[in-house]
Amino acid sequence: MRLLDWVVLVGSLASIIAYGLYRGRGSNTVDRYLLAGKSMPWYAMALSIMATQASAITFISTTGQSYVDGMRFVQFYFGLPLAMVVLCATAVPIFHRAEVYTAYEYLERRFDAKTRALASLIFLMQRGLSVGLTFYAPAIVLSVIFGWPDRLTTLIIGVTVVLYTVTGGIRTVTWTDVQQMLIIFCGLLVALITIIHMLPQQVSLLDAMRLAGSAGKLNAVNFHFDWNDRYNLWSGLIGGMFLALSYFGCDQSQVQRYLTGKSIAQSKLSLLFTAVAKIPMQFFILFIGAMVFVFYIFEPPPLVFQRIEYDRIQSGAARARYEPIAARYQDAFARRKQAALDIVAARHGGDPRGAEDAQGRYRQALEDVDTARNQGASLVAATGGEKGFKDTNYIFLSFVTRYLPAGIVGLVIAVILAATMSSSSGEINSLATVSVVDIYKRHVRKGATDHHYLTASRVATAFWGAYAVVFSGLGKNVGSLIEAVNFVGSLFYGSLLGVFVLAFFFKRVTGTGAFCGMLAGEAAVIVAWRSGIAYLWYNVIACVVVVATATAVSSFSPAASARPDITR
Amino acid sequence: MPPHERDLPDEPPPFLGTWPRVYAAVVVYLALVIAACYAFTRIFA
Repeated sequence: MRLLDWVVLVGSLASIIAYGLYRGRGSNTVDRYLLAGKSMPWYAMALSIMATQASAITFISTTGQSYVDGMRFVQFYFGLPLAMVVLCATAVPIFHRAEVYTAYEYLERRFDAKTRALASLIFLMQRGLSVGLTFYAPAIVLSVIFGWPDRLTTLIIGVTVVLYTVTGGIRTVTWTDVQQMLIIFCGLLVALITIIHMLPQQVSLLDAMRLAGSAGKLNAVNFHFDWNDRYNLWSGLIGGMFLALSYFGCDQSQVQRYLTGKSIAQSKLSLLFTAVAKIPMQFFILFIGAMVFVFYIFEPPPLVFQRIEYDRIQSGAARARYEPIAARYQDAFARRKQAALDIVAARHGGDPRGAEDAQGRYRQALEDVDTARNQGASLVAATGGEKGFKDTNYIFLSFVTRYLPAGIVGLVIAVILAATMSSSSGEINSLATVSVVDIYKRHVRKGATDHHYLTASRVATAFWGAYAVVFSGLGKNVGSLIEAVNFVGSLFYGSLLGVFVLAFFFKRVTGTGAFCGMLAGEAAVIVAWRSGIAYLWYNVIACVVVVATATAVSSFSPAASARPDITR
Repeated sequence: MPPHERDLPDEPPPFLGTWPRVYAAVVVYLALVIAACYAFTRIFA
């Protein structure tokens, strides 16, 4: 990092924190601290929803995912607009009219206390695991740049985020998200333009896209259905819709965003804006990863993108095994580069036979490069590195720090750190809200003063921040972080979605039925996981099992009756 | 309406007149996005 990078980085982060604290003034009641006094406009909620979802993982891991696996991950988001429509027609008006602080509070009104408690605990487990991964992502940034230990960097960022979140509550979280999204849009655009500008002069954007396409990196849609294939149109539309329904309809970190809306219409608009903007945004981020791949066709990429591991296998006992792999890698790279240049030249010269011949050599070289990279990863694992080592999360940042000009590196790092702060602050805020409203206030200390619960909310925020820092080390061994986060969510979301489907649409289902249904749903997810079914289907399976079980159990018990109102 | 729910008015959307029309527009938009992604895949495959 050069001086200009540090100026941009520190200036961006300081402005975000200062702006957030300025906007968060007056968060001195529980209602203002947790729901911003229900005063937020739709555009602030929409950008906050997108910013909470777009954590550092989105930029670090999604770009790497595209580099390795192509753009097919975009299909994961195809179900999101459908889910948003369903939620706007159902959950948004119901939650607003129920005047709840949390989605799970509604479950007690509809079912009973044990159903609310179980749903709250499932959320706390799921989001508690995910927030650790959110913290781990920026630690990768600093470990790549400075070689600092992951744990130390996680601790430093965690302490900063906790202080900032404890002070301002959800109003601060929301407005920093807005500012952060603007920085993200600018940062992404500048990064893509810079990458394209850095390609060889004779390679146009169209040529770059053809080279990426020939390597299978622009495979945005796949119609072939396969239960075990993570990303195809059907898993995206159906599984993705169920995941999005669960995430935006049952996860307090999202529900809390649109509960801060001035009105039902404002909350609906915020979700529908997300529905329209999310797929293009993810497409754009994946496209950046594909263009980084094309850039590395012409510039030699390291055998392993994780610098610390790369340095390690080049020295000591591993060196003897590293050298032949590196030699094969360099040879394959040179052949791939030449073939790519030949493809471009043949196309520009109107030589289809030459282009076809070069395509054959290009594909063979691609395979050889991938083989050598896999051997490099195996060498890392076999010589004392992580078991099943993958460097997906290091690809984009390795590129940024090595090739982007001064100032832009600082901007990209600022985007990533700001995204982490904003996402994790939102997650911690929602974890604290559920802990206080659904557990502490409901089961531990009823009827205390507003000031007492405000203090409890701040203490809970600090607790979850510390928890996230402690468990962030789990991110080290999970491969692609973006997949890990969605996998963890899928383990729990289906059951939560199922119980809300029951609450909204199955009037005869009882509290005991819903409770048993959730337990059965979690059991079904464990079976699906053990069976090797792709994780996007867990939400569908669990939801169906919850509804079926609850309906069956309720048919043997007295019909649900309208429950009396409860005190918050 | 259940006794614990408040009668909050659902304002009309700022465009297209009714919410069902807005929802339909989002679904049509999704279909167009998928078609565009498919064309993108085919063109550069």
